[in-house]
Amino acid sequence: MAILKLMQINRPLRILAILLVLGCAVPAAASSSEQVVVEVGEAQEDCELPSGPFDIAYEEAAVAADIAECRRPVIGSYRIEIGKRFDFASYLSPFSYSGTNVALSGFWTKVMPRHPESMAMTFDGRANFGNLLNPAGTAREIDLHAQFRWGLEWQRRFAGQWLVSVGGNAGVYGGMVYLPRNGNNPAAAQFAIGIGAQAYASKLVRIGRLPLLISDRLALPLAGAFFCQQYGESYYEIYLGNRKGLAHFGWPGNRFGIDNLLMVTFDFGTTAMELGYRFSFQNEQANRLTTRFTSHSLVIGVIPGSIGVKAGKRNEITPLF
Amino acid sequence: MRQTLDNIKHFLAIILVAAIGSFCHSCSDEPSYQNSRLGNFDALAHIIDTRYCFFAEKDIDWSEVTARYREMITDETTLVELFNICSAMLDELKDGHVNLISPFSTSYYRNWWSDYPQDFNLRTLQQYYLDFDYYQTSGISYKIISEDIAYMYYPSFSSGIGQLNLDYIMALLSPAKALIIDIRDNGGGLLTNVEVLASRFITEETPGGSIVHKTGPGHDEFSEPYPFSYQPAPASRVSWDMSKPVFLLTNRSCYSAANDFVAVMKSIPGVTVVGARTGGGGGLPFSSELPNGWAVRFSASPIYGPDGAITEFGIDPDIEIHCKPDDLASGYDAILSAAILLAKAAIPSELSPPPHQIILRTPGFLHFLC
Repeated sequence: MAILKLMQINRPLRILAILLVLGCAVPAAASSSEQVVVEVGEAQEDCELPSGPFDIAYEEAAVAADIAECRRPVIGSYRIEIGKRFDFASYLSPFSYSGTNVALSGFWTKVMPRHPESMAMTFDGRANFGNLLNPAGTAREIDLHAQFRWGLEWQRRFAGQWLVSVGGNAGVYGGMVYLPRNGNNPAAAQFAIGIGAQAYASKLVRIGRLPLLISDRLALPLAGAFFCQQYGESYYEIYLGNRKGLAHFGWPGNRFGIDNLLMVTFDFGTTAMELGYRFSFQNEQANRLTTRFTSHSLVIGVIPGSIGVKAGKRNEITPLF
Repeated sequence: MRQTLDNIKHFLAIILVAAIGSFCHSCSDEPSYQNSRLGNFDALAHIIDTRYCFFAEKDIDWSEVTARYREMITDETTLVELFNICSAMLDELKDGHVNLISPFSTSYYRNWWSDYPQDFNLRTLQQYYLDFDYYQTSGISYKIISEDIAYMYYPSFSSGIGQLNLDYIMALLSPAKALIIDIRDNGGGLLTNVEVLASRFITEETPGGSIVHKTGPGHDEFSEPYPFSYQPAPASRVSWDMSKPVFLLTNRSCYSAANDFVAVMKSIPGVTVVGARTGGGGGLPFSSELPNGWAVRFSASPIYGPDGAITEFGIDPDIEIHCKPDDLASGYDAILSAAILLAKAAIPSELSPPPHQIILRTPGFLHFLC
């Protein structure tokens, strides 16, 4: 409705408003608990149409966008991940630390308004906590990381109820590995922004009489900028103001990563449940320092509302299958 | 059912390819030392070789040193013997910032101070100069000791200095006409405390020195020196009136952050450093570890003084004075007494006591006056 109200103002602002609403649709929807799939006909009845004189072309665009907004279900998944983690930060120690990895994550997706059959938008966020020990078990390392990614992907459906998506994403990533027993090099801080590629494949299968959605989602960072201190540089020197050589252009040659989530989704009608395995790997090399994370996690997720798998066929506008 | 299984196989194949791809990514930078006697020794030698920062200044041939000590290790070497061998090897660096930390002991090169006079006795100070009667806050003991001379003793830069605490100290000492800052036996601590304390004795942006870091594992791979400076405390804070003289007392046990404090204070007009050469410790220490879990600490990032000189080997005082152990035991601190005398001499004459009174009170100081 915000779009329709903004129709009363000038053209550039109207365009900006449409773009903003489209761009923010996923986070905005994510904050809503509404997960009910609205049929097209119902959506048209529910959507309040504008009144008053204004430009016909923008009226049509606005109406189309608004209708699409109403008919696009947001599928949100809320997950907890538990597994094993391996961290190697040569700034802190010449050895890998290993231990428990716990993460809370969320994933939201919805189709794009103008291409509901072929384009989808994704948003995912994850906060990781790792509690690790050195090989000798004499020192403890704490790992705290968070990341957020917004993605757009093109989808194609194939015979046999296959869906394959490929696309790109933009994201931000930050955190640190903290080794309390170290003196002036107590932490390996990490921060990165950039773009990446993502892919998704899913297939509806039936094991016995149980319909399942098996899916795999893959994300790879491609380019961006990331932080890495110099080989023997202390944070005190950075605090004093020496920022030279801290920011690096990242590409797969110096910042390689892979985030892969293999998932099985059970649809119980009113709620769907996910069970999966996430493999996450990241390797950063700059200033002759290496920071590498590897984790293997069991993922358990809940999707409020049905995703339509129970029916065993795709009968709604969903980007999942 | 068969088709379902085929589909699952396809998915697993995708995952496998992705996983192999990621694991194949370079892992060669991660050393593979064994948790054995030689493995731990080699790890220690390599860490120091690639990250220690004063090989050139100390003219140390690390390859020769490690080869010499490596020969001492056999299959029968016990853990304690290994610790002793590694500690002796690290002592070759002659660096108080180098430690090997095991569950049963921490190695420490003591000769940087034990080979020199101590020049300080806390009991003598407290009993004969402070009369066991002084204020204390933020780890700083302070008092106006005599004839308008203020005194403050700060034994460790590890003790955080509260800005408000420092305001009170400066305010309560401000009636004095001269200030003696005693940092003898101050083994260092946080450099941020250096900044906090020094800011009360400067009236404009003052060079603090420069810092360098290693850019690679080679012994000569260093960054360009990065100069840094200290800002005066805000006007809302209480600072020392720098028209009044300041005397900074040092001994050989002033190390690390205390050494850096001396470096910056010595460059400030109106400050006179009295006592003995400091112990040095001009390298910011980093930490690492061995396969068996022992930790190692070492100088990694050199800090130079405002004049560009290396501070690792200590800083000379403006006026060198040493205390005789017997004098200290009998209640006479030659360095502090000299500072008192110098302060009195620096105070405008109408405020100074007659010189003979000082001489009578401190007979052992006559030698210095000559």
